[in-house]
Amino acid sequence: MAYELDCRGMNCPAPVLRVRDALAKEALDNVMVLVDNDAARQNVSRFLEHQGFRVNCVADGDNFRVGGTRDGTAVCDVMTEFPAVKVTRPDGRKIMVLVTSSTMGRGDDGLGEMLMFNFLKTLKEMGPDLWRVTFVNSGVSFTAEGSEAVPILRELADSGVKIMACGACLVYFHILDKLQVGEVTNMLEIVTGMKGADSVVTI
Amino acid sequence: MSDKTIRLTQTVKGAGCAAKLAPGDLDRALCGLDLPVDENLLVGLDRADDAGVYRISDELALVQTLDFFPPMVDDPFSFGQIAAANALSDIYAMGGTPKTAMNIVAFPGKTMDISVLRAIIEGGLNKLREAGVVLVGGHTIDDSELKYGLSVTGYIHPERILIKKNLQVGDRLILTKPLGTGIVTTAIKAGIADQEVTGRVTQAMATLNRVAAETLEAFEVHACTDITGFGFLGHLAEMVVDSECGVRIWPDRLPLYPEALEWAAMGFIPAGAYNNRNFRGKFVDFSATVSQPVQDLLFDPQTSGGLLIAVADAEADRLVAALQANGIGSAAIVGEVVAQPIERIIVE
Repeated sequence: MAYELDCRGMNCPAPVLRVRDALAKEALDNVMVLVDNDAARQNVSRFLEHQGFRVNCVADGDNFRVGGTRDGTAVCDVMTEFPAVKVTRPDGRKIMVLVTSSTMGRGDDGLGEMLMFNFLKTLKEMGPDLWRVTFVNSGVSFTAEGSEAVPILRELADSGVKIMACGACLVYFHILDKLQVGEVTNMLEIVTGMKGADSVVTI
Repeated sequence: MSDKTIRLTQTVKGAGCAAKLAPGDLDRALCGLDLPVDENLLVGLDRADDAGVYRISDELALVQTLDFFPPMVDDPFSFGQIAAANALSDIYAMGGTPKTAMNIVAFPGKTMDISVLRAIIEGGLNKLREAGVVLVGGHTIDDSELKYGLSVTGYIHPERILIKKNLQVGDRLILTKPLGTGIVTTAIKAGIADQEVTGRVTQAMATLNRVAAETLEAFEVHACTDITGFGFLGHLAEMVVDSECGVRIWPDRLPLYPEALEWAAMGFIPAGAYNNRNFRGKFVDFSATVSQPVQDLLFDPQTSGGLLIAVADAEADRLVAALQANGIGSAAIVGEVVAQPIERIIVE
């Protein structure tokens, strides 16, 4: 039996918060959310998808019944654009490294920069388990023209490691056109990447 | 004092959310109305531009606009600043100089302390002062939900009106503020946005489009509008519809709040974004590589968004450099005007 939530009469973001709170309280694999407007239908669908549910949706008079299940089958897929990332990798693990800054640790930035450069240089010692290196915020500077890390990252990319740089961050620092290595990525890809990885190392 | 901790967004039904009437509904209400005719009305309701323009003489015209809405942030002073920046923006988008303003207030006097109203109006005055605009009056009613905004009047030269429907093939499109304020304010209302993001986005919404508009004066700008409730694609569609060209948008170059992409994927999207998509989605073709959250951001209703400017290709890089030199760091070329297909927006 699905856990039922009546979110009629609620405007965004209230229905999503109701569902989030319900999921936080107990581990549910089946939920049924009743909403009375299309924005709530789509928002609740997106949220359940984001939480790893398969989403079904049926119209019920003026209302919508948005069903979410973590293992069942769907009546109609609303959000087919977002298939959950399925991980199959029989040989070894998948490690995702998330580089969030141009410096490593706190204290002295000059030292931090040196440490981070050294870290990137040493990353290859992770061997074939290293799957993805994703750069966000000021970390994206390593992927752009002028960084001494570019040849190191190229070498990693050539060995099959996926190098990714946050597009919004490149734009923010005005270096999108200076990208030298790796692909431009977005938050959704970063989040699904985290889900797909066996472990995520955040620096 | 309890007023210091009141969360304005919790006192209203729709914040950035359902505040604006769905665009299709407004069109249905206005369609076929018999509007008074006056040859001095240079830009009126039929043109659906950012502000109305009325000619007084060959050298002078009045430019007028009005905007008000429920609070999208919790702090009263910031709400006042944002409402004023948003109202003034329509004047700047037309190429005008704002001169006078009047307050429009709906205030729940029975449930909210009057000091909140004072802080809101102080926030509005703070921005009017920055814009060189005087407050000449206003009107306040008692209402169950708080709303604030301004009616603004300015000057403009009748020969130098920046209309939105004048795209020319080869133009580059420039956007001056990041997209995503509707999603971010929905996250603020939901209580999931931290102080840093809230502060950053609040400051951006409270930033006047004055400097951007003044920077434009030295360039050959063909068309201009400001991005507000109909979202980036909704306002762009207004530029493209009934024109003889189309546009290509490069989503990787769009300035946006990275947090908004994540919150969009989690379903913190204002109803207005869905309304905008339903109303204008038929003009838009998304390439398969454009993710759902990016599409959501492109339809996200903006509060006090940036200017969207069409400028000759040869001047585009120089204009972006000038905007950035004047402190508008987000300014970026985000697309181009093409000959075919006409009246369509292609998001690559």
